Amino acid sequence: MTLTRLAFKTLLQRPARTLLTIVSVAASVAVLFSLLSFNGGYQAGLKKQMQQMGVHLMVVPIGCPYEAASLVLEGGEIATYLSDDIVEKIAEMEGVAIAAPSLMHAIVRPEDGRTDIYLGIDGEHLALKNWWRLNDGRKPGAALLNNPNSLLMGWDAALIERREEIGEKMWVPEIETEFAVTGILEPTGTQDDGFFYVPLNTAQKLFDLDGQITAVQVRLTDPALAAEVADELEVAFPGAEIIRMEELLGSMTALMDSARALIFAIVAVVIAISGVGVLNTMLMSVFERTREIGVLRATGAGRLHVFGLVWTESLVLTGIGGAVGLGLAAVAARGVESIIKRFVPMAPVEAMTQFDPRAALICVLAILGVGLVAGIYPSLRAANIRTIEALRSE
Amino acid sequence: MNTNGHVVQATNLSKTYSTGGREVEALRGIDLTIAPGEFTVLLGPSGAGKTTALNVVGGLDRPTGGELTVAGEVIAGNGHRAREGQLDALRRKHIGFVFAQFHLLPTLTAVENVLVPMIWEDASDRGRAEGLLRRVGLDHRLTHRPDELSGGEMQRVALARALVNRPALLLADEPTANLDTHTRDEIFELLRELSDEGLAILFATHDHELAERGDTVLRLSDGVIADD
Ligand SMILES: Nc1ncnc2c1ncn2[C@@H]1O[C@H](COP(=O)(O)OP(=O)(O)O)[C@@H](O)[C@H]1O
Ligand SMILES: [Mg+2]
Repeated sequence: MTLTRLAFKTLLQRPARTLLTIVSVAASVAVLFSLLSFNGGYQAGLKKQMQQMGVHLMVVPIGCPYEAASLVLEGGEIATYLSDDIVEKIAEMEGVAIAAPSLMHAIVRPEDGRTDIYLGIDGEHLALKNWWRLNDGRKPGAALLNNPNSLLMGWDAALIERREEIGEKMWVPEIETEFAVTGILEPTGTQDDGFFYVPLNTAQKLFDLDGQITAVQVRLTDPALAAEVADELEVAFPGAEIIRMEELLGSMTALMDSARALIFAIVAVVIAISGVGVLNTMLMSVFERTREIGVLRATGAGRLHVFGLVWTESLVLTGIGGAVGLGLAAVAARGVESIIKRFVPMAPVEAMTQFDPRAALICVLAILGVGLVAGIYPSLRAANIRTIEALRSE
Repeated sequence: MNTNGHVVQATNLSKTYSTGGREVEALRGIDLTIAPGEFTVLLGPSGAGKTTALNVVGGLDRPTGGELTVAGEVIAGNGHRAREGQLDALRRKHIGFVFAQFHLLPTLTAVENVLVPMIWEDASDRGRAEGLLRRVGLDHRLTHRPDELSGGEMQRVALARALVNRPALLLADEPTANLDTHTRDEIFELLRELSDEGLAILFATHDHELAERGDTVLRLSDGVIADD
């Protein structure tokens, strides 16, 4: 027989009340754990997505950077251009892994009610977008842009043009050019799907923009170098605007941060409520057991023993509740995740709530902290029970 | 320490309760000595001060006057006042209590109830607990809980619990008050045997018939021991 075992046994005196308290602790731990591991997963997912964008910096003609960036992202046309001799210089800079030039040009076709966007690219662009796949499963290589009339089509572009076959010819009357389809890309879920990709040289010739480009997209060897490299680029190319992609994502992250603050406020309230529940349960139990505590004192227990017993009981309550809650959360994670995803902007596609031992540890420590704090007052009350009066009480 | 080998040595012991401005003199200067193996009966009507005397001797309560030494420990006397920790240790190591209401813990089995006093000593000896339960005639009830036991059986468990830390003194506060006469006699017989084995016993009762069977009888009324 030990103090801990006595604590367990004592909690069985009121099984329904003990169970209810454990359930309430378990519920709040489950919520806490889900939110914590979701949060970790979300950040990891976001990071991964940024990585997947593969672009850390964008060099564009000077102007409002965000407008320019969103134009490029959404496929608008930018009036001014950069000279393509900067590409090589950028590529040689320290920390730059890939520098991919592109020339964007729109062909408006009012009779069809659409605007086709042509993007002149080279092999570097394909290296940058290394997650692209052709619809036959192959990885697109520079060979797809070998011929001046090569045409690589985004999934949506191909759909609109009803092109399915490699080698098919496509006549574009506005520029009086015939292209040959060299590949069709698998859908990526981004604006890339809607573009017509042609060799950069071809685009420059067709659109009368010799030596001109609209953007250089840069991948760094380490995303952490973004600020440093951006500063260097700014100095080296005064006529260019340098956009850090993480800054674009920053506003979204800020939105997520405020949502998270709200979530954690809710968690704090839930935890506090379960703490009050533990306090209440233990206090009731101490009042009911006044005589028993007197008996323990008669058998030789000191105040410290009584304090320790009641404190252990509240720890056992929260400990079991915490374990049950973690188990529950691990099992129910998928369901919770699908609910959360509906309320959060740009949730990563893959599972976010893998079992996160760090989150579990935080939960365990938090709930044991709740148990310790909530147990103090009832334990003090128990320790201060006057033995002879307790023994006389019926 | 001039206790002359006595387990209890009390001189002019008094206890006054003050509650709400009113003073109740529960003990008015009693003298008491108990030797090892002595079976002392404290006989008196309800309200005489028996429980108070046992509580004070057992270190559950402090006397307001007089001198008291228990199991070699000076509890009160010459201006000395025992610290609470000293009283806790006294109860833990040297004293066993049994009560009229048995006072077993309801969720524990008989063996577990007997083991409770050992928890405070950071010890646990299941074999000893079972041996004591056998000693009091409960070898077939080791894992029963209190609600599965009769009154007499519960008092036997309580007695085994009182003995588990090998006390020098057993304080029994009307332990047979809630038992039928047959069971009462059985329990009393058990206590007799224990005192014959060297245990000092202070047995409070209002039952004259039982009192006659003790080694020493102290008649208590209104907090005073009558000298006869
Ligand atoms: N805590 C207390 N406060 C005030 N008076 C008390 C208290 N405990 C006992 N008394 C009084 O002391 C007297 C002796 O009580 P008690 O020792 O319980 O007698 P007995 O056990 O012989 O019935 C009674 O008058 C009782 O009312
Ligand atoms: Mg009494």
